[in-house]
Amino acid sequence: MRAFDAAPEAQSELDPIAPPALARGRAIVITSGKGGVGKTTTTANVGAALAAAGKRVVLVDADVGLRNLDIVLGLESRVKYHLLDVLEEKVELDEALVRDKRSDNLMLLAAAQTREKEDVVTAAMKALIERLRERFDFVLIDCPAGIEMGFKNAVAGAGHAIIVCTPEVSAVRDADRVVGLLPSSWRPELIVNRLRPQMVRKGKMLSVEDVNAILRLPLLGVIADEPGVIVATNKGEPLALDPTSETGAAYRAIAAKLAGEEVAAPVVRVAPSNGLFGKLGALFGGRA
Amino acid sequence: MSGRRIVITSGKGGVGKTTTTANLGAALAKRGQKVVLVDTDIGLRNLDLVLGVEKRIVFDLVEVVEGRCQLRQALIRDKRLPSLSLLPAAQTRDKEAVSEAQMARVAEELATMADYVLFDCPAGIEHGFRNAVAGAREAIVVTTPEVSAIRDADRVVGKLTAAALPLRLIVNRVRPEMVKTGDMMSVEDVCEILQAELLGAVPEDEEVIDTTNRGEPIVLDENNRLAAIYDKIARRLGGEIVPFTNLSAPGLFGRLFTLWKAG
Repeated sequence: MRAFDAAPEAQSELDPIAPPALARGRAIVITSGKGGVGKTTTTANVGAALAAAGKRVVLVDADVGLRNLDIVLGLESRVKYHLLDVLEEKVELDEALVRDKRSDNLMLLAAAQTREKEDVVTAAMKALIERLRERFDFVLIDCPAGIEMGFKNAVAGAGHAIIVCTPEVSAVRDADRVVGLLPSSWRPELIVNRLRPQMVRKGKMLSVEDVNAILRLPLLGVIADEPGVIVATNKGEPLALDPTSETGAAYRAIAAKLAGEEVAAPVVRVAPSNGLFGKLGALFGGRA
Repeated sequence: MSGRRIVITSGKGGVGKTTTTANLGAALAKRGQKVVLVDTDIGLRNLDLVLGVEKRIVFDLVEVVEGRCQLRQALIRDKRLPSLSLLPAAQTRDKEAVSEAQMARVAEELATMADYVLFDCPAGIEHGFRNAVAGAREAIVVTTPEVSAIRDADRVVGKLTAAALPLRLIVNRVRPEMVKTGDMMSVEDVCEILQAELLGAVPEDEEVIDTTNRGEPIVLDENNRLAAIYDKIARRLGGEIVPFTNLSAPGLFGRLFTLWKAG
């Protein structure tokens, strides 16, 4: 079953020789199926890194009713209007966009907190993402957990997907399901999040290779698990802007790759594990 | 027999609903209670994996609702704990395949068969959430000591309160060393913000990742400190007064957050 038809992302838009006047930004949905694997953290950090590299970026929080992207960016007290206000034409787009504290290149369109995901009209969402692509180089859409209406609306206007997955059997299973629900013409890219190399070495966590043996997606990046992410989230300061943070550097490398730069493959200094892969392989080989 | 029907929910995903359901269910079963776990996350099921019974699924919740099998046929009995059973979710269907009324009927029937029926709720507050709540008479809200998880939990507490469901809180993945340095909210802070009664606090433990991947709930490992903690939660749920393990002292963080939330 596919949830919707392929959204168009004309090849010419990715063509570097296309005239700049016609260039539109890329609309990318950050999704996972499973919740709590780091979609919002990824959206904030990749967005901040792209903006710091001079790109014009808008982040769209599609998690109507359970918004969090404003907190992760530390912008919660500046949100006046939200996505549904714009979709329902109660305010102009410019009134609802919140400018980031740190970068003029970065904007947030917050989700409504007291409304339901079913209130979003898919066609209006698509039209809004189109409008945003005219003004920004990157439109990053932070998808809610699950595969219900909120997911469908988040994907509707996008032309590309980043799949965030942790090295856990349940997250891999959910990610695999989500890849199957995306338009078959897409080639989603993978970020493996919260890797603990020590645990992989001990055979107690899936390796990046284990995860991608199942998902088989182009690897966009690998982010290690570190308590600093929790602190940064609570403070509302994306790690991507911290020049001393290794995790920040990993996010900046992901941003550079998205912006089309040649970036060396992520270095993950661990040997592939063996113990857990059997279970994962068996699960996907012969599912009920 | 009319068992208790409890939904385990959170709003935010990935805070440990499924892990809590599996471990609390196993802890109750170890104490001799008859327990049925219901995976209501249709399309993204995972409770079967956490219990290690994924290869034994024959029928699922949707097939029960559609009358294609008997309820008893769909229940998978745990091999380690015979008084623990799972009603799995369908993997290739949508949440809309089951209505709230149908869910309530299944819950009614399960309550005649068990002391405890625990509903593992999907993330979010959409149709899947409403289904999971429809069959329940009480709720356990799972949250982590993170601003985003607490905000989502707050929204869910509001919805459960509106539905007149009594609820208690499990604060999951607490890192006492981070609480001490002021980098994480304390359990007391979280309870104060959410204005909810505490059922239990569970420390972060990386073993959980491994046991989840292997399909062995951590309470089955008697040597793990979490086994004792989940056992205490099971006893509290049964009405016993059990002192809380002290994971942290209250900090300033929560007070700031309360101010922020009010403002």
